[in-house]
Amino acid sequence: MSVSRSLIIAGFLLSGLALAAVEWAARRPGSRIPTLGDVVALVMRYDLGGLPIGRLAILLFWFWLGWHFLAR
Amino acid sequence: MDTPPEAAVDQTTRPWARAQVMLPVFIPLSLIGGLLPSFSLAANLYVLALGGGMVIAGMSSRLPRRAAPTRLLPGVAWWLLPIAIFVVVEVFTFGMGSTTAYPTLSLLADPVLDGYAARALAYFGWLCAFWALVRR
Repeated sequence: MSVSRSLIIAGFLLSGLALAAVEWAARRPGSRIPTLGDVVALVMRYDLGGLPIGRLAILLFWFWLGWHFLAR
Repeated sequence: MDTPPEAAVDQTTRPWARAQVMLPVFIPLSLIGGLLPSFSLAANLYVLALGGGMVIAGMSSRLPRRAAPTRLLPGVAWWLLPIAIFVVVEVFTFGMGSTTAYPTLSLLADPVLDGYAARALAYFGWLCAFWALVRR
């Protein structure tokens, strides 16, 4: 395995670890960090001209993610 | 944290919408999905059917939704840290052409998702998270 490939994998692992760490910090009692679920929920409440743009965007993004990894 | 109007929908009117009911349903769906190889027509149609159904369910106002915060706590900026690390690595590898030496996440995931167990597990995780989004 090349050095560059190892560094790239380490980078992806680091982002995953950072995500887990922030979520863990958010779930501690009295935390001032919102959980990922709360952040996503707020984005999903975003409406533009009565259209639930935030909700549609999040749902379509997750749809695309599944298609990208599982179907293509 | 205020309760949005949609959260006021009576949860008892849709007992089947609870996670305890839906998650066991996702197990056979995931086991079937794991059998369908990437790039196949069957896999595309399967994901289209499941994902399309989830999007329709998510856009419907008939399902009860969990309460959402009206504003976020000040520490929300911390979420930029994992996002920034991921975006930097992904954009860099994409710019380098997504080669073996500089693989994007998709390229790294492909050989893992070729295995049945990992593929079925990925389907299960995708469906569970999708349902959580539908209920948000």
